[in-house]
Amino acid sequence: MNASRDIAQDGSAPFKARAVPARRSLGWLNSSKGLGIVLLMPALMLVVLFFLAPVVLTAVFAFTNMSTATGITGGAYQVSPGTLRVLSDRYGMGELAERLGQPTYIVDEEGLAALEEMGIEPGIIAGLRDDHLGETYSSRREFEREIRDLPDRPSTRTVKQISAEFSRSLANARFRNAGALVAAAEAIDPDLGDAEKDALLDATYTGWTWTTDNFRRLASSPQTTRVLLNTVFFVALTLTLFNTGFAMLLAITTHYIPERPAGIFRIIWFLPRISPAVIYVLLWKWLAWDTGFISAFLDNFGVRPRNWMLGSATNAWVFVILINGFVGASMGMVIFASAIKAIPQSLFHAASVDGAYRWQQVRHIILPHLKWPILFVTCYQTLSLLTAIDHILLSTDGGPGGATEVWSLWVYHTALNNYAGNLQYGYGAAMALVLVIIGVVLSLIYLRLFNYNALIIKPRIEH
Amino acid sequence: MRILLDKFSKSFGDVRVIEDMTLEINDGEMLALLGPSGCGKSTTLFAICGIHKVTGGRILFGDRDMTGVPSQERNVGVVFQSYALYPHMTVAENIAFPLRIRKLPEAEVKRQMEEMANLVHIEALLDRRPAELSGGQQQRVALARALVRRPNVLLLDEPLANLDAKLRLEMRSEIRRIQLETGITAILVTHDQVEAMSMCDRIAIMNAGEIIQIATPQEMYRNPRTAFVAGFLGNPPIAFIDAVASNGTLTVKDADIRLPVPPNTETPPDGTPVIVGIRPENLGRDGDAPIRGRISFVETQGRENLYDLTLANGSVLRSIQRESDDVSLNDEVEWRVRSDQLFLFAQNGERL
Repeated sequence: MNASRDIAQDGSAPFKARAVPARRSLGWLNSSKGLGIVLLMPALMLVVLFFLAPVVLTAVFAFTNMSTATGITGGAYQVSPGTLRVLSDRYGMGELAERLGQPTYIVDEEGLAALEEMGIEPGIIAGLRDDHLGETYSSRREFEREIRDLPDRPSTRTVKQISAEFSRSLANARFRNAGALVAAAEAIDPDLGDAEKDALLDATYTGWTWTTDNFRRLASSPQTTRVLLNTVFFVALTLTLFNTGFAMLLAITTHYIPERPAGIFRIIWFLPRISPAVIYVLLWKWLAWDTGFISAFLDNFGVRPRNWMLGSATNAWVFVILINGFVGASMGMVIFASAIKAIPQSLFHAASVDGAYRWQQVRHIILPHLKWPILFVTCYQTLSLLTAIDHILLSTDGGPGGATEVWSLWVYHTALNNYAGNLQYGYGAAMALVLVIIGVVLSLIYLRLFNYNALIIKPRIEH
Repeated sequence: MRILLDKFSKSFGDVRVIEDMTLEINDGEMLALLGPSGCGKSTTLFAICGIHKVTGGRILFGDRDMTGVPSQERNVGVVFQSYALYPHMTVAENIAFPLRIRKLPEAEVKRQMEEMANLVHIEALLDRRPAELSGGQQQRVALARALVRRPNVLLLDEPLANLDAKLRLEMRSEIRRIQLETGITAILVTHDQVEAMSMCDRIAIMNAGEIIQIATPQEMYRNPRTAFVAGFLGNPPIAFIDAVASNGTLTVKDADIRLPVPPNTETPPDGTPVIVGIRPENLGRDGDAPIRGRISFVETQGRENLYDLTLANGSVLRSIQRESDDVSLNDEVEWRVRSDQLFLFAQNGERL
């Protein structure tokens, strides 16, 4: 053995000498650490693109007032009766708003140059410059009377043309950028202070701005409490009744029945999970519609047909929880069933001869072994229920009257689809961010609760 | 407590594992169910503790018919091959489990648990979990759990199979000590003849679902009923050679060997083919019947040497002798066999 190894090494010596520099040139790629990073790169990029970036963008959007009205690119500066009212109401600059809102005509060099461009008679221009340069008029009629009184009397049509060139009013004017708006405002009132300028810019800006108002609004809105309670109710009930409770029941019962029927039984309970959400919910709707199965059946007993799903808030909740529960139960069932199967058969034998009947075996053998799976299912399903939207959207869409509106659906309705038509991306993003934070906090609490560190502790084996 | 298997049968589907087996275990006795794997010894054990339902026959504990009684009510203690300790419970909780399940008062549970822990010497480990114990310690905990509620019978299913050689030796005597101290009736299932012989009062040797012989270890070794029993007991094992009876002696064909018929054995009629069993310790320098052959294998075991002796017809005998270096591989030797220690079997394996 040794001899042959020596021979092999001798034989490879010349190759080795050549191989060494080639290796060196690869540099840090030679270490498994370096190569690992390279191999991980595609995965890392996908994680960043599809997982990290949306969260970061949500967080960014949450601090803006983006909506359909503001757009998601920049905006312009639009002076309107509305913005002037904002100026007087919110900033207390009523007098400034009045001044800016009034039609104003100012005879200045800029206007005169424009007249020259238009080819107005030089006599008229000279007259305006000599007699009226620097004068301000607050009404069109007054200004036009002055024009008509000029030595070279222009025609009525020319008078209108001339007066238009000197109109310096801000009412209904739109400016590309802040500089243009400030210049225009200074033309009317050269003594504008910085505070007044800022107020004017804020009030007239049509694009989105950075703000924390979303959170203030969320904290003070009565709808927040209502939707929050709906969500807690939905998650808690679906999780305990179905995703863990019912799943556990299925797993334990299938453990104690023969393998073949157990398998068939499990597949049946898996159907809701593998059928498309739209079709699955449609089946429920058929069941519950006023011409559906329940109504048709109860009709035989003299019960008037009605929509059993949306008939009342209670009914809506029953259906929402059933629909989501049956989908969620299958996952817990599979995880619990495989965890039970992983328990050595000899433990059940030992428990039997130790005197433990079936129920005691469940309590003392099965449940302690399901600690981790329960933690996992609870954790995972809480998060997925918190963000559950498709089945509720398809079945009740939050109805009747917002009774089953849960947080994620509220986000959707606020940011992506509502009757008013003004989609509030920023506000919706703030709501979504709150949901993300709740999810993270809950995960941390769960790990603590189940004493994660104790569960992964290394055994102290001694022989 | 006396245990009686009365015409007990067990089949799995169409496979009949055990048919009409009758076995009595006396009160306070430790009995070994010895046999090769697949012979039905574990099936028998599981039937006694009620994990397997019997297909036919009865199982009696004392005078009580336990055949239809669920395992929970049979009050048997079982030590499984894998120990089957509850991994999520501490040692104390494991031992106390059978008592707590019966809802004994907590003070009583604690007292009995500690008493049992003292018996098997694991007082210091009560707060550990099974994963933090060595194999031998786990074994002791399993014993304590099996014994804690003073069962009618203690069943041990290959309890030493998972231990290393040194621990096996130690636990062998420990289990026997505990069994004697508690005076409990015990059944040991094993495929290891050394365990069976060293630990048990009697051995029931099984093959293919049948009990071949029940006897004390000594009796069984000295007086095996069949060639199978003779071959199963003893290490290094017995060697068999074919011979033919002629004129009151046994002639080994093509080997120029004549062996006398052992005493207490009826001389078979001339021309009867027989199987002669020779234990390694009975072939050597002393004896009355010469055997010539060539040494084809030597194994040094320290105190003793083990030789393979190949006869002229190709048959191989084994000899174990005090260590010496006067013979070596490929030497032609003439050794002797003690003819009063020969076993004679018919062609079907039955002892003559």
